[in-house]
Amino acid sequence: MKDFLSNTWKHRVHFIMCIPAVLVLFFFSYMPMAGLVMAFKNFDYNLGIWKSPWVGFENFKFLLASGKTFWRMTFNTLEYYLIFTILGTIFNIALAIAIDQLIFKKIGKAFQSIMIVPVFISYAAVQFIVYAFCSNNGMVNNIISFFGGDPVRWYTSAEYWPYILTIVKMWNSIGYGSVLYMSVLAGIDQQLYEAAVIDGANKRQQILHVTLPSLIPMITIMLLLSVGGIMRSDTGLFYQVTRNSGILYSTTQVIDSYVLNAILTTPDYGFTAATTFYQSAVGLLLILIVNGIVRKAAPENSLF
Amino acid sequence: MKTATEPNVNSELISSDLPAIKIKKRKKPRIGQYILTLILGLYTLFCLLPIILVFVIAFSDDESIASNGFSYFPQKLSLKGFQYVFNYGRQLFVSYGVTIFITVAGTALGLLIMSLFAYALSRKDFRLRKFLSIYLMIPMLFSGGQFASYMIFTTMYHMKDSIWLLILPLTVSTMNVIIMRTYIQTSVPNELIDSAHIDGAGEVRTFFQIVFPLMKPVLASVGFMMATAFWNDWQNALLYISSDNKVPLQLLLVRIQKNIEFLLNNKNISSSALVAMQGKIPEYSATMATVLVVIGPIMIAYPFFQKYFIKGLTVGSVKG
Repeated sequence: MKDFLSNTWKHRVHFIMCIPAVLVLFFFSYMPMAGLVMAFKNFDYNLGIWKSPWVGFENFKFLLASGKTFWRMTFNTLEYYLIFTILGTIFNIALAIAIDQLIFKKIGKAFQSIMIVPVFISYAAVQFIVYAFCSNNGMVNNIISFFGGDPVRWYTSAEYWPYILTIVKMWNSIGYGSVLYMSVLAGIDQQLYEAAVIDGANKRQQILHVTLPSLIPMITIMLLLSVGGIMRSDTGLFYQVTRNSGILYSTTQVIDSYVLNAILTTPDYGFTAATTFYQSAVGLLLILIVNGIVRKAAPENSLF
Repeated sequence: MKTATEPNVNSELISSDLPAIKIKKRKKPRIGQYILTLILGLYTLFCLLPIILVFVIAFSDDESIASNGFSYFPQKLSLKGFQYVFNYGRQLFVSYGVTIFITVAGTALGLLIMSLFAYALSRKDFRLRKFLSIYLMIPMLFSGGQFASYMIFTTMYHMKDSIWLLILPLTVSTMNVIIMRTYIQTSVPNELIDSAHIDGAGEVRTFFQIVFPLMKPVLASVGFMMATAFWNDWQNALLYISSDNKVPLQLLLVRIQKNIEFLLNNKNISSSALVAMQGKIPEYSATMATVLVVIGPIMIAYPFFQKYFIKGLTVGSVKG
């Protein structure tokens, strides 16, 4: 202990260097975590968060009793998480390998630079672009009528939105997502490929036996990190791109967009707090479980 | 990154038939390569077309959009959209100022306090760093979520309508600190830091004169990511900002959309009121012109920073 204190004293300047970041994290990350206790309280605006009376699991009873809303947003959140994670990972890797395999390096670089651009456009702006494609006289309907089909009223037809949102999300994120995998590919030892060629491996076999295995640590880490956010969504995608339209809620409402709406209208404090507590707790639980599994199977790839 | 030079470096070590294979491969790109180029080209086009549409519509004539729908080939071009944008200029001007302030102040502050933190965490003999690493990691695994944040920030800190709420929460992110720490550990030689100490430089001076300048690539890549996050943040603005002189660009976009929605959905507005409001209904070309004005600066800055984050962005080892 004395050792530790003298070490800390010796490194007091380092400690001081940490203080600003530590304070920001404390006030803007840790305090909200503590704020989750609201889920077990009957919030009274005049008393504030800490002094409001405890009510036990009362708020969660309402959450479960709400039935349809609760299950709908849970289901949608998980559904989109699965679609986005599975498709996103596959496309990220495919794109990274494709660019890596391309012999025309200059063209590949140029393509890649353009593919990254969409991630830098906010959903508040993307929303207008999607509207230009999907409104009643938008591009998509123009093309449909051009080929003699019947125009679709996209903004009132909930059944199409899982597809629209998936396309928008992939458009937005794949180019950028592949950069991480590209950097791993660039680090693969060329001799591995050369050895594979000597052993008579063709391109397909090289990718299967050299490229993909070397990507596994990165894939595991990215998946692990995303599991913690399983109950969180890209709020902009679901709030902005759908124009927060009630008609589309059946397929587009996720927990985050529900909570945002609740805050902006008049929040039912207990209910909303219970929802976010449930959201955070499930995320934590899952990341602990999955990390535990990974640590058993491949300790070097686990997060902690 | 891995180019033709690599086999040459090794050629002395490896048997001589390897370069022959390489040369044979480079001589005739197989048909597969052209197909691959075509596929990648099509995907690039898919990424680019929506952005081009913004340009085209911003310069289209509104009446031709109304009669023929959105199109890449407008019948008539017009600059009216931009005229409209600059007509409601004052708010746009103010919003531009707010967004630029948030972006510059947030990025500078964030880079400074994160690199200080990352540097301290990279010192191997600093015992407290184990605890601080865990303290840093936890927010990545668990978070209070937007509702708890909202309640804490508004009822406890009473920061509603404060511009600092758009800056401070986004300044420190676990991932960025880890990226920086990894960069210092791998790319800033320890010997350099030690020799600075031997020459009598204190920790602070060592950091600002030796380490910080060497971190340029990682600062550029993380900085650009942060700047876009600040520039694009609409959610915090929507939650917290209410006075007009603090509205950033993204919130302005959200408000424009809300206005259109309101006017389209409200059938009860009397016709005379509609006529009176006519000048205020943002039309398609004007909306797209605004979008263009909002996303423009990022599109312009992007090429300059691009080379850094294709190279510099690696998650690195997360484990401390």
